[in-house]
Amino acid sequence: MLNRLYPIRTLALIATMLWGAALVAQTATGTINTTLVNKSGISLIFVTAPGNVNLGNSGTSAASANFGIISAFGTLSAGVTRPSVGPTTFTVQTSFDIDVIEGGLTSASYTLTANLAAAAPTGISYKVDTVSLTTAAQTIQTNGTYNTDVLHNLGLIVSMSPPGAGGPAVGFPITATINFTATAN
Amino acid sequence: MRLNRGSIARLIVIALCCVFYTILGQCQTSTGQLSISLTVQSSISLVFQNNPSVGTNGFCALTNSGTNNVTLDLGTAAFTPASDNLACVAYSHISANTYQVSSAFDVVVTKANTSSPNYRLAAEISTAPPASVVWLINNVTLTNTAFTQLDGSDNYSQAITKTLQVQVGNAVPAQAMAETVTFLATAN
Repeated sequence: MLNRLYPIRTLALIATMLWGAALVAQTATGTINTTLVNKSGISLIFVTAPGNVNLGNSGTSAASANFGIISAFGTLSAGVTRPSVGPTTFTVQTSFDIDVIEGGLTSASYTLTANLAAAAPTGISYKVDTVSLTTAAQTIQTNGTYNTDVLHNLGLIVSMSPPGAGGPAVGFPITATINFTATAN
Repeated sequence: MRLNRGSIARLIVIALCCVFYTILGQCQTSTGQLSISLTVQSSISLVFQNNPSVGTNGFCALTNSGTNNVTLDLGTAAFTPASDNLACVAYSHISANTYQVSSAFDVVVTKANTSSPNYRLAAEISTAPPASVVWLINNVTLTNTAFTQLDGSDNYSQAITKTLQVQVGNAVPAQAMAETVTFLATAN
């Protein structure tokens, strides 16, 4: 009896193995059609320059530089220097870095302009590098290098005259905002 | 205002140019704002300068002239023989038993950001001198206990000539004498 059933069991086993093999060979495919628009852009950030005034919000596009108390003859805050005094004005200065980062551009360099957000207070004028600032944009640099810290000097020329006679207000905080614009060349 | 076909076409061309310009990266700009703050304080400074007559008798040269920290060498002097080894030092016997050496220099006080019309000047020596030794500025005796006023209203940015005098009695033992004379200018 067992011998008669043996061929049947063998055939059943082979059939089962072939069915499993057929299952393993099953495949399915799919495709995803993808699109990407790589947009070009530049961004400008301010960075503290070593040995100079520590910028507030260094590494951003909205930083601040506090010169502290300045005077023609007194002690200055760390990072502030006084390259000249008299006879009618004194100058205090610090330096900072501007980093213009680019992506997706063929532009090799950028042009940097700056302007005061509002008219300078009486008795004080502002300079970036060699350029005296006004409320109109003026060119600071025409060949800025991307993706690197570029050092710039910020100078304040202060009248030594007393308040009310052409000099600045004394003992009160004075603020100003400088707008910088980098444009791809 | 109505636009004719030509105007519309021009606007479209300009718009397309701007789009392509942007895509090519030639219109890219980025801005940043740097806020600055400061407080101006009024100040005055005092410096010592060589008198225009420097080098002649009574006007020795200062070391570090033009600063607020100078040195004045009055040389080596004796009651007898009545002399000083430096030609620039003025030497004299001011009484039967006292000699004086002196040299003049200028003081310049500068002001900034103040409406102060003038300043007062005072001076003080650093240590008590030996017995029978007196240090003076323009005949005003100095002490080491307090500033002694020299002038009540000197003009800013004007050289004020001051003469440092040392009067030594003939009984004073031989020795080296040194003083640091501190000048104090105060805005009026």
